[in-house]
Amino acid sequence: MAAAFLPLVPPLNEGRFSTLLGALGSLLAFLAAAHALLGGVPSHLDFHFWQGPARLELDALSAAFLLPLHLVAGLGIVYGAEYWPITLSKGFGRSLRFFFGFLVTAMTLLFVTRNGLLFLVAWEIMAVSAFFLVNTEHHRPEVRRASWVYLVCTHTGTLAITASVILLAHRLGGFAWSPLPPGALGSLDVWILVLAVLGFAFKAGLLPLHFWLPAAHASAPSHVSAILSAVMLKTGIYGLLRVSSLLPGVPAWMGGGLLTLGALSAVYGVWNALAQRDYKRLLAYSSIENLGIITMGVGLGWTGRALGDPWLTTLGFGGAIFHVWNHAIFKSLLFFGSGALLHATGTRDMEGLGGLAARMPRTAMILLPGVLAVTALPPFNGFLSEWFIYRGLFASLRGGDAWSSGLALLALVFTGGLAAVAFARFYGVIFLGTSRSEAGAHAHDPSRLMLVPMGILAALTLGIGFLSLPLLPVLDRVVRVVAPGQGLPLATLVGRDFRLLLLLEGLLLVFGGLALAWLRPGTRAAEAPPTWDCGYAAPTARMQYTGSSFAEGWSVFLPGVTQRVRSIRALFPRAHSFHTRVLDAVGDGLLAPWLERVAARLFRFHRFQTGYLSVYILYVLVTLLGVFLWLLLRARLPL
Amino acid sequence: MSQALLPTLLNILFRAFVVLLLPPLIPGIITKIKAWMAGRSGPPVLQLYYDLAKLARKQAVFSRTTTWVFLAGPVGTVAALLVASLLIPLGHTAPLLAFEGDVILFAYLLGLGRFLTVLSALDTGSAFEGMGAAREVSFSALAEPALFFGFAALARATGSLSLTPMLQSHGMWTAGHLSGPLMLILAGWGIVFLAENSRIPVDDPNTHLELTMIHEVMVLDHSGRPLALILYGASLKLVVLGALLVDPLLPVLSKGWLNGLALLGGLALLAVVVGLVESTTARFRMNKVPQFLVAGVLASAFAFLLLLV
Repeated sequence: MAAAFLPLVPPLNEGRFSTLLGALGSLLAFLAAAHALLGGVPSHLDFHFWQGPARLELDALSAAFLLPLHLVAGLGIVYGAEYWPITLSKGFGRSLRFFFGFLVTAMTLLFVTRNGLLFLVAWEIMAVSAFFLVNTEHHRPEVRRASWVYLVCTHTGTLAITASVILLAHRLGGFAWSPLPPGALGSLDVWILVLAVLGFAFKAGLLPLHFWLPAAHASAPSHVSAILSAVMLKTGIYGLLRVSSLLPGVPAWMGGGLLTLGALSAVYGVWNALAQRDYKRLLAYSSIENLGIITMGVGLGWTGRALGDPWLTTLGFGGAIFHVWNHAIFKSLLFFGSGALLHATGTRDMEGLGGLAARMPRTAMILLPGVLAVTALPPFNGFLSEWFIYRGLFASLRGGDAWSSGLALLALVFTGGLAAVAFARFYGVIFLGTSRSEAGAHAHDPSRLMLVPMGILAALTLGIGFLSLPLLPVLDRVVRVVAPGQGLPLATLVGRDFRLLLLLEGLLLVFGGLALAWLRPGTRAAEAPPTWDCGYAAPTARMQYTGSSFAEGWSVFLPGVTQRVRSIRALFPRAHSFHTRVLDAVGDGLLAPWLERVAARLFRFHRFQTGYLSVYILYVLVTLLGVFLWLLLRARLPL
Repeated sequence: MSQALLPTLLNILFRAFVVLLLPPLIPGIITKIKAWMAGRSGPPVLQLYYDLAKLARKQAVFSRTTTWVFLAGPVGTVAALLVASLLIPLGHTAPLLAFEGDVILFAYLLGLGRFLTVLSALDTGSAFEGMGAAREVSFSALAEPALFFGFAALARATGSLSLTPMLQSHGMWTAGHLSGPLMLILAGWGIVFLAENSRIPVDDPNTHLELTMIHEVMVLDHSGRPLALILYGASLKLVVLGALLVDPLLPVLSKGWLNGLALLGGLALLAVVVGLVESTTARFRMNKVPQFLVAGVLASAFAFLLLLV
């Protein structure tokens, strides 16, 4: 059990040794988490921290988050050994390994600690090591900007979390986190929750606090993006679940509010995803979408807890946790894949790519399950967790807040439709058709060290679907921690439905196999002609539909997207250009101008900063004198 | 046991007939009606059967741009629709499989088929197929909410999340406060039906101009057996979504076989109606299509709101 607390040893000089050690550490922690989830006794470790009792404890909720963390971390370490070799001269490989280890250790600590102060310490180590990881390629200005924006945002969020933890300590009578018995809400509880939502929403990238996320995740090395998206964002979800589990209850309006917030984030995230040209930014926006979906689950669970509806509680929290796992699997797969693409082509702009399925057949084959899973299509894992959330929403339509759940239902359906646009575009523009530029001309599959981790994740996207029946009691254990004494066993609630669902998904594969078998013996023309392009004699790769035009139907409605095209009038028009720019409506459109105005105001104080030491000493003297006078006069004044 | 076995067996046979053999007839009826309305005699009603038989024997031509993804479209669509057809009740006959939450699987199976078709269209690298693919995914993002709001309204009315109780609750027409929402739902679903099956006024399956197509342009490069699968899949989709529309309208009859016959009659009537609509209306301009789909969403959403308050 102690393996969970084994810190991942940061790099030694020998790259292979550090890879082995890191992977081994993650494997042990993964096994420990799996053991805890499969019904092992929760183990704990008591000690003193800053004159207070502190405890590390591995319960089902901790293990539910440790499991994806160490899955992605272990595979990421193996993948990173090839993706970013330690000897790469300009590659800062050592600092990358060092902070990767630190990030994983900090998150491990974060998930097992039961002490408010230690939680904040772990939170801070996590935030700062993520900053250094995002900043890996700090010779590029856009990377520097992204990482600094991230650092400022995460610390703004930490302020709210700190306030929440302090209030919580007031409520619990100390920094030790032991749950209060269910009962009436205290007067502080609402504030604790509001501050927690504010702070943790920053980390989870919920609207409107998401704007740091796309740039940071796109700039980081791909296996780092994977762990940031797949796990670090979910520390926000973990925080919400953990803090609310300590309190005696949750007000019902907060459940509906969180549901609405998640619904809006999901739609906003996916709508922005479909407009991106940079495929890593696209994946990052899709993380906002998925975190929105998870938040919807948490909101449903909170509503259920507040109304005392065990059915809703179980479906909401169960769906949220299940989607945490599934999103971790398919999003890290997609980010690993994007790293393979970046490695092979050197560009993040998908408009220059195309036809890579022919040049990188294995990568294309491995990524297709990920794409289908992120679009939540059966029989892949993303569908199963969304099925839970749908059931929760429908249950909430009957028993919970019908208005917010109706809105969320619309949002979830709409998200599904737009995700299909975004990811048909992602896969189609990058892998299918023919190459649009020289970038993809020499692309090739990465080596086995990168392909095997991706293959494992791809197998899991399908495997989770068929192995998910034994997962139901595991989810129950987690729900029991999140909502003490309220959950119902999922196996009796949805066991039969789930079994039939899986049967049908199996049938889907059988029917597909049969149809394929029927196609096989069909005779095939010996000669392969070019694609029939409606009689056009000399089709070129440039004539293909681009990603921008593919998404135009929806992207033009986004406030952040501007298109510039000159109208073509003459009979024999000359060459024209089309320009499109995609900004984030909230981050770049609203907040950046506002912050610039604030910064301009604050610049007035710049004149006090002269650069002469003597002037600064004068400031100190004047201040001291002022304080002295105030102290002197205060006694005389009738206050 | 043997008494219960026979009806089940007959039920399975009936389903197999409706799902495997009947579908190509429906487009035949539509085409025939359109031909009659235009004063032509038109191709035989069984034309699609002949086409499928011919395509099954023909060589398939694969463009040199394509990869294995090219086959995923036809295979995935047919597989997804076959599974969806197991879930949908056919008239008032007993369903084979029903469970709480099967509506979600049903809707997402349609999505799976569509997504794979879009990918195989993009696999050809053709400008026109890309255009069709973009339109298909963009428009279906509006069709899905219409479908789901209908489900949500029915879920609220029947207290169930399974297609069978939702569509077979014949009592809804007589309960005064439910018949209005039900009519709205059917109006919304009617629009979904036309859009999903690429029918006029959303899309014209017989147009000769690729620029104006949505669905047909995506399968331009398919030939031989893959094309046969696509054509069969399209007709199966007519039946599956048609059953969604027809089921709530059917009366409950005393005998099982009468119920089956009622479904067949309903589907044939639906085909006639589609033929009449296609003969009397023109296809919308492409920028009007989203408005039409939004009208469908609003109809279902209004039904949902009526049941909410």
